[in-house]
Amino acid sequence: MIQIENIQKTFGSNRVLKGITSTFETGKTNLIIGQSGSGKTVLLKCIIGLLNPDEGDILYDQRPLSEMDKNTRTQLRTEMGVLFQGSALFDSMSVIDNVLFPLRMFSPLNEKAQRDRALYCLDRVGLQGKETLFPSEISGGMQKRAAIARAIALNPKYLFCDEPNSGLDPLTSIKIDELITDITREFQMTTIINTHDMNSVRTMGENIVFIHQGEKDWEGHMDEIDRSPQSKLHEFIYAGYAQSKR
Amino acid sequence: MTLLEHIGLYSLLMYKTFSVPQRWKMFFKQLWLEIEKLGANSLSITLIISVFMGAVMTMQTQMNTENPLLPSYTTGLVTRDTLLLEFCSSILSLILAGKVGSNIASEIGTMRISEQIDAMEIMGVNSANFLILPKIVAFMIFIPFLVIYSMFFGLLGGYFISLFTDLITPSTYIYGIQYWFISWYIYYSLIKSVIFAFIIASVASYYGYHAYGGALDVGKASTHAVVNSSVLILMFNVVLTKLLLA
Repeated sequence: MIQIENIQKTFGSNRVLKGITSTFETGKTNLIIGQSGSGKTVLLKCIIGLLNPDEGDILYDQRPLSEMDKNTRTQLRTEMGVLFQGSALFDSMSVIDNVLFPLRMFSPLNEKAQRDRALYCLDRVGLQGKETLFPSEISGGMQKRAAIARAIALNPKYLFCDEPNSGLDPLTSIKIDELITDITREFQMTTIINTHDMNSVRTMGENIVFIHQGEKDWEGHMDEIDRSPQSKLHEFIYAGYAQSKR
Repeated sequence: MTLLEHIGLYSLLMYKTFSVPQRWKMFFKQLWLEIEKLGANSLSITLIISVFMGAVMTMQTQMNTENPLLPSYTTGLVTRDTLLLEFCSSILSLILAGKVGSNIASEIGTMRISEQIDAMEIMGVNSANFLILPKIVAFMIFIPFLVIYSMFFGLLGGYFISLFTDLITPSTYIYGIQYWFISWYIYYSLIKSVIFAFIIASVASYYGYHAYGGALDVGKASTHAVVNSSVLILMFNVVLTKLLLA
C-alpha cells in the first residue's frame, strides 16, 4: 500500500501540486487521471522519488520516503517496477538483455536462473520468440510489453505506469491494460497508473484519483463516476464523447 | 547557467561517477564494450589522419628548410619532434574530441531524453557510475595505444614522402628521425593524452547527462561537449607543457 499525504510541489512561481492526499491499495489498479498539465506526471515522479515534494510525504507500506537514507532508497527501488511513457528500453541491448538488466544488477540468482526468470517474464507478456530482437526492431506495443517484462523481472511490490497506452492503437491499448490488471492481481502489487485514456478509466479504474489544476478533485471507483456530482470530472470523462456527438 | 554552476554540477557528477561499481562483472562488461566503441573504432581515423599529417609535415618542413646552413636531416628531426610533442597528443586529442566526444554526448543525451537514465535510477542503479565510469576508464586506458599508433603512422607518412618524391632521401629522413632522440617526449605525450582523454570523456558525459528536451537539445549538448572539451584541451596543453617540459 502506498499513501501520499499533502503532497505539494512548486516550480518557480508555478504551484503544480496543491496538497494531494490519497491511498493506493495493494492488488488494485489505481489510476491517476487528469488533463494534460494537471500535475499527474509530477505527482507520479514525486511518488517514485524522481522529484522531491516541497511538502508532504509518501509512505510505502508505512515507511516514509522522506526518512529513508540512500541505501534504504536503493533497496526500495529494487521493489519498484516502472513503465515509462516511451517504454525507456535500452537501445543498445536486445529485448532479453533489457529484461536481464535489473536481474544482473540486483538479483542473487545465478546466470541460468536469471535467464529463466527473464524468459518467464517475456513469456508472461507474450513476447516469446522476440528475445534477440532490439527495441528498434519491434513495434510500439511490443516495446511496452518488453518494458512491462523488465518492470516485473525483480518481482516488484510496486508498479508504476506513466501513460501506458500513449501512441498505441485501441486494441493494443486494451491488451496492455488487461496485462497490467492481470499481473497486478497475480503478483499482488500496488499499481499506480497515470493515464488520460478513457477506455482504461472505464475498464480498469478500481481506484481513480482525478486531479484538476494540481488539486485532487475527486476519488472513487469507475462505477461511481456517473453518480459523482463533480462537473469537472464529467467534463473530462465525457469530453471526447460530447465532441463526437456534435 | 553560470560557469560556477557548470563547475558545481560537473563536480557533483564526477563524485557520483567515481564510486565503487554496484556489480564489478557488469562494469568490466561495459568497459570492454567501451574500449571497442571509443578506442578500437578510432583506429582507422587515427591511421588516416596520422599518415597524411606526417606526409604533409615532412613536405612542408623540407620545403621551408632548404637553407644550406641547415643540415639535411633537419626535416626528419622536425617531423619527429612535431609529431611526438604536439600532433600525436594534442592535435589527435582535438580530433578525437570531435569523434569520441560527440559520440558520448549524443549517446548519453539520447538516453536522458528518452528516459532510459530515469529508468536506471528508478531501478536503483547509479546511472552515472554505470554509464560514465566505463567510458572514462576505457578511453584513458586506450588512448596511449592510439598515441603510439599515431606516432608510428605519422612517421611512416613522412617516410612515404621520402620514398615516393625527390624532396628528401629515405636514408636522410631515417637519420633525421633517429637523430638526438629524447625518450621523455614520448612519456610527455602519453601523460598529456591520458589527461586529455579524461577531459574528453568526462566533459562529453557531463553535457550528455544534463541534456533535457528533444533531439535538438541532444545536438546542442554534443556541440557544447566538443567545443568545451577542445578549449579545455588547449588550456591544459599550455599548463602541462609548462609543468612537464619547461
